[in-house]
Amino acid sequence: MSQGLYACVHAAEFPSQALLRLRPDLQALAVAVLEGRAPLEQVCSMNRLARRQGAATGMTRLEAEALAGQNHGLRLLPRSLESEAAARAVLLECAASFSPRIEEASQGAACALVLDIAGTERLFGPPRALAERLRNRLIAAGFRTSIAVSANFNVARMLAAASRGLTVIRAGEEAQALASLPVALLNFPQDHAETLAVWGIRTLGELAALPEAELIARLGQSALIGRNLALGTHTHAFQPIEAALSLREFCEFETAVEQMDSLLFVGARMLDSLAARAAVRAMSLASVVVDMELEGGSAHRLMIRPALPSVDRKFLLKLMQLEIAASPPPAAVLSLRLSAEAGQSAKVQLGLFAPQTPEPSRLDVTIARLKAIAGEDRVGSPVLEDTHRANSFRMSAFVAENRPAEEKAVRPRLALRRLRPPLAIRVALCGGQPTIFNDGRQSYKVTTSFGPWRSSGCWWSMDGWESDEWDVLAEPHGCAQVACLLVMDRDKNEWRLEAFYD
Amino acid sequence: MSARSATALRLEIEHTLERSFPAALTPAQRTVRETASTGIAEVDALLDGGLPVGAISEVNGPESSGRTSLVLSFLAQRTAGGQVCAWVDADDAFDPESAAANGVNLRQLLWVRCRNVGGPAKGKQAAKPWTRLDQTLRAVDLLLQAGGFAAIVLDLGDTAAEHACRIPLATWFRFRQAADRARTCLVVVAQANCAQSSAVVALECAALNPQIAGGTVLRGFCYEVRNERQRFTPFAMGQRKPPASTWQAAGASDLEQSA
Repeated sequence: MSQGLYACVHAAEFPSQALLRLRPDLQALAVAVLEGRAPLEQVCSMNRLARRQGAATGMTRLEAEALAGQNHGLRLLPRSLESEAAARAVLLECAASFSPRIEEASQGAACALVLDIAGTERLFGPPRALAERLRNRLIAAGFRTSIAVSANFNVARMLAAASRGLTVIRAGEEAQALASLPVALLNFPQDHAETLAVWGIRTLGELAALPEAELIARLGQSALIGRNLALGTHTHAFQPIEAALSLREFCEFETAVEQMDSLLFVGARMLDSLAARAAVRAMSLASVVVDMELEGGSAHRLMIRPALPSVDRKFLLKLMQLEIAASPPPAAVLSLRLSAEAGQSAKVQLGLFAPQTPEPSRLDVTIARLKAIAGEDRVGSPVLEDTHRANSFRMSAFVAENRPAEEKAVRPRLALRRLRPPLAIRVALCGGQPTIFNDGRQSYKVTTSFGPWRSSGCWWSMDGWESDEWDVLAEPHGCAQVACLLVMDRDKNEWRLEAFYD
Repeated sequence: MSARSATALRLEIEHTLERSFPAALTPAQRTVRETASTGIAEVDALLDGGLPVGAISEVNGPESSGRTSLVLSFLAQRTAGGQVCAWVDADDAFDPESAAANGVNLRQLLWVRCRNVGGPAKGKQAAKPWTRLDQTLRAVDLLLQAGGFAAIVLDLGDTAAEHACRIPLATWFRFRQAADRARTCLVVVAQANCAQSSAVVALECAALNPQIAGGTVLRGFCYEVRNERQRFTPFAMGQRKPPASTWQAAGASDLEQSA
């Protein structure tokens, strides 16, 4: 029977790590995290710099503010459970890329994951190499963690919690490695802890040296478990969790953010993380929903949907920038949430003789830029509506595809140039035919008129129409003859200049 | 024997005149330039095959001179070949129904509708179209830089000539370079020449006469197209007027009859 091998990843002070992970501007500062209802908040987590300045878990807000008054670098942030959930998902994603069997062993303010890495030597090399790769991966994701590897689940867990950096324990050396750790790691009940303190037992090595039968006689079965833990022989039934792919990132700002650059600065890190997590599973980001919580309680939502799924960070960031520029949030932003949908990586089969089309990712950026210039609904492909009403169309998203050539011969036709909106005109009639019309700028003398051609529809609904159309050849004052389309709206009883033939 | 002596004589003359006229008697090699058909045989014949690829072409003329019909026919040819095109509309005058009737595949067409910021132009705003023109030029710039478009139409058809002519020459030079790199036909529809020397082809359109059926129906128009300028074509001796041809565009009634 092969022996098990476990690697434990321990992220201490997880609430502060989750908040600082996406905020490189705060990482060089001392930061303490407060939890609880105002005004009874207490410090629940802090980074190393804050601890050096005297911050401690359990401090009240007043104490922390007094400390911040003495040390001007200390920042106080409220705890964000949503950020922690997002950070935990990222941690899990990183761990899942090294082993599919993961059990959570979090305690208190720390987040701990134990990976079953038995049998991964051929993939990742010896345990130390795996641990180094795992740690580098976590550093890239913005976490400071300690990692311990052992053949025993509990030994790995306790060593990771009590040590820093990488620790690899060979089989049979567990008791020796644990000997110097404090007994407090075992979480004995209060009365047992006091008894052990009275006996002068302070380390796991001292506990392991006690005779088993006498210890059980005095403290019961829980002491036996503790002794086995101290010896590194306690067995554990591994209960792996399912790491579902959830591409979400959340960041809550300390103060409301008004500038787009600041939003993008944080958004870039979040996109990076999402893209990296999708790429690990050989997938791409098909769409990204950007949710912003705004000052005043309202929300603002944007959708980034590239033509082809992509993990190109620059490309996605540019799309996000253009999307925000096209529809900026109406108020300052309090928090930013990115939720992505994973899609299969794009595979485009190009043909040697296929017509040249724009590169999809580049076209996406171009169209987003065009929308920022002309307007969201003013760029795209026109689609004709199924109606006889004139000038009925809607705009649809433009998609450049390689379509086979169509051979059809169409004779050139008279084209119209529309006036949007149509010009209201005054018309002089003679014998029911228009003879002169004036559009407010100049007057046109009608030389020939054809019509009227009556058009009507949707009479059964509110948006019905009924109009008479005239094709007229007219001569504006001192200019060449033009051909126009005049419409007499019978519902409103008004004349309009709709278009010019060209 | 006589042929050899003629060759020797030509070489001798060329050698003698080498300093003043290099290759004096050898005809210059003609570069074959790619063209794209406009779909109108008469205009293609006038242009030696069609509008040039990778260059700027101008289609000028007043209202109702057939400019739009000509350009739509050209786009129909390009989109029928499976290529994608763009229409950058400075005045929001493009009519999708006319385009579809001319055979343009609308799914292959990107339409950019520029506008004055803050709604349609009225009064004094209409007399200052700089916002729309600026949007139009920036849009064309972006599309040319993106590449992959077989044709881009810059529609300044309703923009007053005095405004269109104030577009800086540097802009046209940049467009010419970009169109050349991207192998895109940039077609400018305007009332008068505005691209100046950057345009390889400049067509001047005019309406000749309407075609009327039974005295009650406008059946179509007969248009005239004059080739005002075409670079890279050999100079024809004795040519005083620019070459011209006429073509016809059918109206809606003709379509119904043919259907």
